[in-house]
Amino acid sequence: MKKSIFSVLYMFMITLVFTSVVTITRHYTQDLIELNEQAKIKRIILNVFGIFPDDGITSADVVETFNNRVRKINLNNSTVYAALENDGQTPMGYAFLLSGPGFWGPIHSVAAIDSHAEQILGVRFYNHVETPGLGARISEAWFFKQFNSLHINESQSGGKIFTLKRPGKASGANQLNAITGATMTSQAVESFLNKELLHFAAEIRDEIRKDTNWPEQKI
Amino acid sequence: MARTENIAAVFKRGFINENPIMRHVLGICSTLAATNLVANTLVMSAGLVFALSMSCLTVSILRSITPMRIRMMVQTLIIASYVIIVDIIIKAYLPDISEALGPYVGLIITNCIVMGRCEAYARSNPPMPSFLDGLAVGLGYTAVLLIIAIFRESLGFGTIMGYRVMPEGFTTWTVMVMAPGAFFMLGIFVWIVRTYFPQTYEENKGGEKS
Repeated sequence: MKKSIFSVLYMFMITLVFTSVVTITRHYTQDLIELNEQAKIKRIILNVFGIFPDDGITSADVVETFNNRVRKINLNNSTVYAALENDGQTPMGYAFLLSGPGFWGPIHSVAAIDSHAEQILGVRFYNHVETPGLGARISEAWFFKQFNSLHINESQSGGKIFTLKRPGKASGANQLNAITGATMTSQAVESFLNKELLHFAAEIRDEIRKDTNWPEQKI
Repeated sequence: MARTENIAAVFKRGFINENPIMRHVLGICSTLAATNLVANTLVMSAGLVFALSMSCLTVSILRSITPMRIRMMVQTLIIASYVIIVDIIIKAYLPDISEALGPYVGLIITNCIVMGRCEAYARSNPPMPSFLDGLAVGLGYTAVLLIIAIFRESLGFGTIMGYRVMPEGFTTWTVMVMAPGAFFMLGIFVWIVRTYFPQTYEENKGGEKS
């Protein structure tokens, strides 16, 4: 009986000590971790627009540059990130967080289009669990840079902005090279990016058509 | 297990005679998961070496007052605490590295090697030898993983640490990048080691067990 009570008390005390140490560590690093988390997505959004902080690349610099150059707009219940030119007023383009099912799990990406919703400015894949060395190569520059300057013209390629072809076989303006050995990931990317990008591009064009001053009043 | 081992003996034991991967076939999950790139392997191993040596040290310090019946709970708590602290610190100060090894850090908690060494050695030996034991076994694990990773990365990607080592035009072995490649490599490696260095395992078979 005495032994059992000791065991319980011992376990209680040791749990208290170790969880306290973890909590204290967490407490002192929490702000930094949150800043890093915020900076992570903000850095990617800036990156997709080709905007880089002028001074330094710390998480704080990224957050500051983001706050100066990017505005969050609500568009039919979705969030759109509007990037502004250096003057802080003229819209430069719009970015969206897009995701879709990959081979192993969801693929999260940021895609940016120009202010007239006619061209893709860039695409980045920032969170996914694709096979390292195969599907995970969607995060490599040679792959995502293929999306730069693609025209958003759904009448081409059978209602798609782009199609992924076998590596080395891509020809024509809207054909991109897929990743060797990652057919499923390539197909997943082609499917959700085409669908989501066309959807958002259409919505932006709608807004511009309805109100030529959009999105000034929201910025 | 002798209590008066010198440092060289502890390291020899951790590296060769009781190497967790070759001899005990422990920690296989991470061996399969984190060996397709040498860089992943190095980071994973560094995390394991820290968590393992610190856990062994702590378990050893507490060994005389920890009740036998709850020792596994205590060990799990200690191991998990160290791993989470490592994870938090990497997240705060090295966000890019944290990004690269995100899932692997948490995996250290459930790595059988850590609890295996706590149970087999640290709970019945003094703190310093236990710490060294953790260090040696951790480095033994690192060595095996690196060998497997070097083969997998060079055959699977034609690179080592991202630098090209295979001639241009080398057809990469996609299977090496995927889980089956790890199984093949590990199986072949354990087979070779046990064929050429069988003595320790065979001698110990009837004797003390760890």
